[in-house]
Amino acid sequence: MKRGVRIGIFTVLAIAGTAFLLFGIFSGQAESVLKKAIRICMECIGIG
Amino acid sequence: MAKAKRVKGEWKRMTVQAAAFLLQNPKLHHFFLGTIEQGETKAVCVPGLNCYSCPAAIGACPIGSLQNTMSKSYKKPAVPFYVLGFLILLGLTLGRWICGWLCPFGWVQDLIYKIPFFKKIRTFPFERYLRYLKYAVLAVLVIGLPLYSAFKGVLVPYFCKYLCPSGTLLGAIPLAAGSAQVRAQLGAYFWWKMGVLISLLLLSLLISRPFCRYLCPLGAIYGMFNRIALVHLDYAPNVCVDCGKCETVCPMGIDPKKQFNSAECIRCGRCSRACPTESLQVRFGFAKKDGTR
Repeated sequence: MKRGVRIGIFTVLAIAGTAFLLFGIFSGQAESVLKKAIRICMECIGIG
Repeated sequence: MAKAKRVKGEWKRMTVQAAAFLLQNPKLHHFFLGTIEQGETKAVCVPGLNCYSCPAAIGACPIGSLQNTMSKSYKKPAVPFYVLGFLILLGLTLGRWICGWLCPFGWVQDLIYKIPFFKKIRTFPFERYLRYLKYAVLAVLVIGLPLYSAFKGVLVPYFCKYLCPSGTLLGAIPLAAGSAQVRAQLGAYFWWKMGVLISLLLLSLLISRPFCRYLCPLGAIYGMFNRIALVHLDYAPNVCVDCGKCETVCPMGIDPKKQFNSAECIRCGRCSRACPTESLQVRFGFAKKDGTR
């Protein structure tokens, strides 16, 4: 892959990734992740 | 007796892997209490497959979080933007370097593979096709079925429930050991997952990193970024003497000379350290040295 193309794809994805992350934070998904992570995940440990 | 091929400087990677495990799981006292850490840092995803039900974990598992943010409320599926953002940014910067250096379950498999007394296998028959299984796991267990269950009204993280060996090793076993209440509730799902974990650990005695090669959905995601990630493998064919050492030491069973951009390469650097002419180098950034591909 040519360097210019690689940098182009990288930039587009970096912008998209940052936008996704910020949108996720502002729409309360970080809080959802926290709520799930601080409780014992029943499925993970083979109970649920 | 066949041994895993030794490579100079491997202790450095092992040290980083051990440090990464401790950085992602520093609250060790919870192991003795049978409880899990509940700090606010758990809103942030860790890079590797590290179960958030590991008592000592201070971050969230990206695959568990991905499944669990696919639903906003009852019967309302959602796009997990937050976790996707994390995965895109981590994939772009580090790619599968994360698998080689930061993932706790990758480290466990590396340690088990070092145990001698067993004939080591480089690849299985139908290896190429087996490697596609991880994309099926990603599509079906991580995205498809959890999304379907979200439409139905009760979100089920199918990957965590039926397959994830990290949840069993880092979550279920320590919690069951530390809490009689958890022990009393263990049932068929636990024993199924124990079977999966034991099978993978036994396989790790024979073949390097079986879970990473064939089943890991996180590796499948990071692998898609390998071609454009800042951490990359440079190959200089003009100085290569074609000795084949890189191929024999590769823990993922690929030929680094031909597949240096492959989604399978975990950027562990073993090929680079084994190379007598330094024709393979793990580098960071966009620039490539003259004469490299």
